[in-house]
Amino acid sequence: MTAVDYRQKRFLVIDDQPMARESLRAIAQTAGAFSVEFAPGYQDAIFKIRNNVPDIILCDYMLGDGRSGQQLLEELRRFNLLPDETIFMMVTGEQSYEQVVAAVELVPDDYIIKPFSPDKLIMRLERIAAKKQFFAAFYREKRKQEYAKALAILAATKDSDAGRNYRFESLRQEAEVHLAAGDAEKAEAAYRGILERYEFPWARAGVAKSLHRQNRLTEAREEIEKVVAGTPHYFDAADLKANICMAQGEHEEAQKVLDEVAKKTPRNYLRKRLLAEAAELNGDTETARAAMADVVANDTVAGAVTTEDQLTLARTHVGASDLISAEKVLLLMRESEVMNLDLAQQASFSALLAVASPGKGKPKFTGLRPALMASPLPTASRVDVLRAALSVDDRELADTQARQIMSGEDAKKVFGAVRKLYALQGREPDFREIQRQVAMQRIHHDETPAGGE
Amino acid sequence: MHHLLDVLASGVHDTKNQLFFAESQIAEAEARHGIDLSEARYAIESASGRLSRTLAAYHLLRQDAALAVVPVVVDDLCSEVALDQRKHLAHTGIELEVNCSVRDEWPLDRDLMTDVLNNAVQNAGRHARKKVRLSAWSDGTTLYFRVEDDGEGYADPEGGRSTGLIVAERIASLHERKKRKGSMHLSNGGELGGAIFELCLP
Repeated sequence: MTAVDYRQKRFLVIDDQPMARESLRAIAQTAGAFSVEFAPGYQDAIFKIRNNVPDIILCDYMLGDGRSGQQLLEELRRFNLLPDETIFMMVTGEQSYEQVVAAVELVPDDYIIKPFSPDKLIMRLERIAAKKQFFAAFYREKRKQEYAKALAILAATKDSDAGRNYRFESLRQEAEVHLAAGDAEKAEAAYRGILERYEFPWARAGVAKSLHRQNRLTEAREEIEKVVAGTPHYFDAADLKANICMAQGEHEEAQKVLDEVAKKTPRNYLRKRLLAEAAELNGDTETARAAMADVVANDTVAGAVTTEDQLTLARTHVGASDLISAEKVLLLMRESEVMNLDLAQQASFSALLAVASPGKGKPKFTGLRPALMASPLPTASRVDVLRAALSVDDRELADTQARQIMSGEDAKKVFGAVRKLYALQGREPDFREIQRQVAMQRIHHDETPAGGE
Repeated sequence: MHHLLDVLASGVHDTKNQLFFAESQIAEAEARHGIDLSEARYAIESASGRLSRTLAAYHLLRQDAALAVVPVVVDDLCSEVALDQRKHLAHTGIELEVNCSVRDEWPLDRDLMTDVLNNAVQNAGRHARKKVRLSAWSDGTTLYFRVEDDGEGYADPEGGRSTGLIVAERIASLHERKKRKGSMHLSNGGELGGAIFELCLP
């Protein structure tokens, strides 16, 4: 094993309890650590890690204030603040954290149960160091998104003698790289390979995710239901189920699932965003508005609240017919921000503003019209454009968007929302005609129906 | 009912935090003064292990225990049991020998299994004359753990069982893979001639 010189390493101890911090400091220093810094809470930890990444993080699972070490870990990964070289060790007083680790996708390098001796900490840290060394070349290629090279490294090392200790991790990494590279079929095969050996909930969820990516929604739903039923504390699985439900057009079920888990993780703002999306699709505009307002106000990590979030918040206000609030959100966006919007965001911005405040929004919206007619756009932007086009009675623009949406992969997901927009203008028959045309086109082209099974 | 469990779990949690503080202070004093207080630390860790086991037993007896299965390097697990127990046993004149021939990872509940093996080694240490052996091997489909000693052996291997053994048996049988369940076996004899505690995990 690699002997690590802990005098050279910078430790960060994250714990809200002074006595527990003191214990961790004492243990780390007895293990040889020279430099031990403290962070008493969540925000402070993120600040310290962002400024100067430590080598070894010892983080208590319970951080107080409704936050957990697991959340912190997820946040650090979300903002790419944790280099692969940094060791993140969760420290926990009870065994229930093991249940979390056994289920979730995003795990720390290891976790250790209190009380433990300096010797045990060293033993664990050295194992992690050895593992990081084993995967070092792979991590490098993965980070550069050189997926083929990363997979080649895995293939070459996983059956080596040293690789025997990391066989499951190798298989898991292989599946994740296939997913990242966009090869959902190979990812599915890799996850099924893991399930052959053992029924890990995360591997079953991986199968569901791979099927979802292949738009095999009924099968994906079956798989994820098994995971959710077997491991109710596996919240990522609930998120995945909600996403699959939404793709199937079952927005009520999606919202129900997310409502439940969001209550248990009130400060998980990625989940809140998802809840807002599901509620919006489900026609529960109040919940959508409240969730997005919470995100924009409280997702306090710098850079966490994006332009996309502001647009979503404005969208939920428009959905709730609160045009004043929508206008306020849009006009509060900084000019520099608006200047730098990409086409999809410009489309949403001008469309939402055209609905919220026609006087201010229409000119820009009209100016964009040629681009909106001709360019590929993400579904959310298309729905915004469609809404605005219907409100200014630009039928050609509206129907173009509707056709694109209904022949795309999100057809089931937003079908109800689009139909409602047409109905509000008394144009339901026109929407049915568009549906008919899209269906005919599909038959002519002999395509697999997009959004279908 | 869940409320009661939360109260118990939170009590155990707080107690373990206190114990951890005590252990860290002792470890620091050992380093500072160059003394060996490992027996005091051992007592603290044993007390904490006992607390964990009590909570686990409560779960198991209520039939609401769920395993948390992760891929585990069996050799690492054995090394940790050795780290936890070897020094204490040496203190009482007993040698702990560890023999692990499993190189691959095995899916199992790492924390519960560590507890079970720690408990088994502790028990063996109480009855051993000079030696306790922990071994692990596999035939590809089953993983075996065995703890044996050179003491008198079980008075009645088929007879009544202590809480620790009941918990061990339940934990073993909760390990399930492709419809096969784990099991626990007690016997006497073997190479060391004393008690043999064996777990088979699918």
